Amino acid sequence: MEAKPEEKAEIEEPEIEYVSYGGEHHLPLIMNLVDQELSEPYSIFTYRYFVYLWPQLSFLAFHKGKCVGTVVCKMGEHRNTFRGYTAMLVVIKPYRGRGIATELVTRSIRMMMESGCEEVTLEAEVTNKGALALYGRLGFIRAKRLFHYYLNGVDAFRLKLLFPPPRQVL
Amino acid sequence: MADKPVYEEASIDGQPPKLASIPASDTTVWADASPLLQAACAGLRDGELIHGDNFNLFAAMSALEIMDPKMDSGIVCTYYSIDEAIENGAAPIPISLDSTIDVRCTIDIMDHLLACEAAWHKGHSLAQTVFSCIYLLRLDRTAPHALLHSYCRIIRATCKAVVSVVSDARTHEEEDLFTMTYGLPLNGDGDDKCLSILNAVEETISRQLRACKATSSKRRLPEDLEPLQSNPNLEEGFCKALLCRLRFRKHFFHVLSCMKRPQGRGLESARKHIASCLTELESILKSADFLRSCFDESCEGDIDDKTTASGFEPIGFDAMLNSRLSAPTPPRAIKILSWKKAVEYFVKLLHDLDVICSYSLDPHLESLLRFVVQFQKSQPDLVARSHLQLLLVQDGKLYGRDPFFAVINKAAALPEATKNHDIQKNESFLQLGMLVMNLLKILCTNAAWQRRKLGKFLQDWRVIYVQLELAFRNEYGEVSSSSNDENKCMKIFQHILLWVEEQTYWIAFRFLILGFELELYSTGEYCMVYWYLYAVLIKLTEKTHLMMAVSHDTAKRKGKKKKDSPKDLARESRIPPAVLFLQCYICLAEGLTMMLAALRNEIPVFHSPSPFNTEHEKFVQHFELLQRACIPDHVSYPSYKESTTHARFSTLAMYNYFKDAQRIAKEVKSSFSNDPERLAELRKLEQVAEHNSVAQNVICRLGALDPSLKVSFEFSHHPFFATVVVKRS
Repeated sequence: MEAKPEEKAEIEEPEIEYVSYGGEHHLPLIMNLVDQELSEPYSIFTYRYFVYLWPQLSFLAFHKGKCVGTVVCKMGEHRNTFRGYTAMLVVIKPYRGRGIATELVTRSIRMMMESGCEEVTLEAEVTNKGALALYGRLGFIRAKRLFHYYLNGVDAFRLKLLFPPPRQVL
Repeated sequence: MADKPVYEEASIDGQPPKLASIPASDTTVWADASPLLQAACAGLRDGELIHGDNFNLFAAMSALEIMDPKMDSGIVCTYYSIDEAIENGAAPIPISLDSTIDVRCTIDIMDHLLACEAAWHKGHSLAQTVFSCIYLLRLDRTAPHALLHSYCRIIRATCKAVVSVVSDARTHEEEDLFTMTYGLPLNGDGDDKCLSILNAVEETISRQLRACKATSSKRRLPEDLEPLQSNPNLEEGFCKALLCRLRFRKHFFHVLSCMKRPQGRGLESARKHIASCLTELESILKSADFLRSCFDESCEGDIDDKTTASGFEPIGFDAMLNSRLSAPTPPRAIKILSWKKAVEYFVKLLHDLDVICSYSLDPHLESLLRFVVQFQKSQPDLVARSHLQLLLVQDGKLYGRDPFFAVINKAAALPEATKNHDIQKNESFLQLGMLVMNLLKILCTNAAWQRRKLGKFLQDWRVIYVQLELAFRNEYGEVSSSSNDENKCMKIFQHILLWVEEQTYWIAFRFLILGFELELYSTGEYCMVYWYLYAVLIKLTEKTHLMMAVSHDTAKRKGKKKKDSPKDLARESRIPPAVLFLQCYICLAEGLTMMLAALRNEIPVFHSPSPFNTEHEKFVQHFELLQRACIPDHVSYPSYKESTTHARFSTLAMYNYFKDAQRIAKEVKSSFSNDPERLAELRKLEQVAEHNSVAQNVICRLGALDPSLKVSFEFSHHPFFATVVVKRS
């Protein structure tokens, strides 16, 4: 998620359009982005699992009709906690460093909060400074370190965001 | 798969002949499923999914796409099977008909195996590393080649021994990939004789070396002995290169055998073999010059990346042959360590093992805990850590020798006679013994795993304290005059209760500081962490001090001191050095808390609220396990806020905790003159205190006035007390 000075796209901030997952037509866009940028192999079923069961938690970012970023999430009961999980987050290289990822994540987290989640979690490589800064700014803490979590031997942090208890209406 | 592979002829439509196809067997036959698959594809529209009782979207995620190289570990890369690889000449015996090349290739195989072994130790599967060697997968066929055969045998026996040690340690860390040996031929008949087989080969080569040296010096006629290989100019170099490699394996195997002996009986012998291993590794490194220069052809690429000393690619390895055995991981090409890095790995491993073998098996738990903590600082790998754990905890006893109640008895400063008291049969005391045993095992695991386990462990220690306290109150609620034995029991309870508290706070302290080592805290969280650390340290110091006073009483009662000399009285009123050490920690923690609080309260950029939660939630998350176990009592987010909300640069200027820390560190150094490790830490603490004291002065004077002031926190001197760095941009 680091800003790369070369091949930066020329855009004005309001030109980025954020859209909630709208159906089958969005699926190939998400798949192409993730396949391109992330190293984990996902079958189409993995994508379907997320976007079918929780379409309201996946968002896409468009610039002039082109899909430039996406976030894919889920939520559910986990050991007596209702918890959200961010599975994939991608923004293509020329569009990084502009807060698009932050906006995508913020929208999904807001949706999770409104849906009654008590916390949100995800894993990130300990070397992924950009992701750690992004999530840190949103209120995530590094709850655990997972030794050699990734196949290339890199450790991961389990990041967790705890929502404050809902305000009581007086 | 007994049939020979079938080569298909070119098909009618002119497509090139396929590679050797997978043969049908007696009970199987091939059928073309393409029409069926096509019909199935047509049967579903985009977005439709078959839904059954046992098959839903979640289950569907486990699907993998056949022939996708990222997912399908069954893809045939070069050969379908080991047999096919062998039949195609992938692992020839002999390797070459030219004896010189054969010897060089054998050395390459030995070097590559060492690199594979190091890669395995570092966290890859055995199947993709050591057992990517086709010679090892079919060891029996190497019998005509004595050198290769003996080397492969000892490798196999060594791997088996190492797997056994790590399995026995049973820590179930994330490294459980290490012990997966399913389908691999790890148990060989006759492997127990591997050393004698190796010795025989070593003996032959030694004689060959003597012979070639004798020829060159023309001292006497050589024995009627065939040389190792055909080029007399290279004979000495090759003999030496082989001997150090064989001897390394022999000594390494001995190290493992010696360290396995119960109650640490083999440690001294192990040290001798470790020293020999290190010597041979040096010789192995030196042999690289010879091996690189003995042939005219030079190898391509960066020599430092190569997995062999000569730089040539080894013959007889195929990592994909075992890809089906490497599952559950998806098929990934793994990077085998370079040969140089592999040697470095083994040098480090041997040094770590040597530290373990040098340990005096101190029956004092406190010293043992410090030894383990110190050992972990060098970041030993799994194999070394497993060995340490098995040394410490055997047959439910410390070092296989001391029952844990006796260990606790000593740690709690009870008289020696008490260790045989019947009270140890009490359920709570039995459980306490288990907790100490588990604590030792946990302290031997990797830092990330260790911290998680320690956090959960706090609850167990709290519960045992409550149980013991309850039992104590039930028995001795109101005691006026009691029998001698009742007095003894009461004393046991009192001492052990105090000791349990001290131990619990020590675990909490370790849990908190490991967070720094693991980089779990962001700068914005340091204030609350140091505050909590301060709270824990206060309690730990209190209990440690009490424990020492109680221990002093026991020593007195033992009759060591009949009368209190003035010197003794003076010493009694002095604070023990160990307690002063902790007080130094306290000052630093307090100083950092206040400084961070003041920065937060005075400089806007230090206080960055997040859109979704507040500092309260972060506090709850970081300290949940401690809070749940009430460690310490009466510590909460509101009390944290109360302590820090009024911190300002003006209040900071009123008291410099860092100066206190500096003073204490200076004073107490002389008491630790015999303890190099604590002395070294005191020096580091002094440096932190000095730097931070200066930084505090700068911040107080300029902080509110100079907006360009940049304050950062670095762990340049001490692993968990940050050094404050102030810069003006």
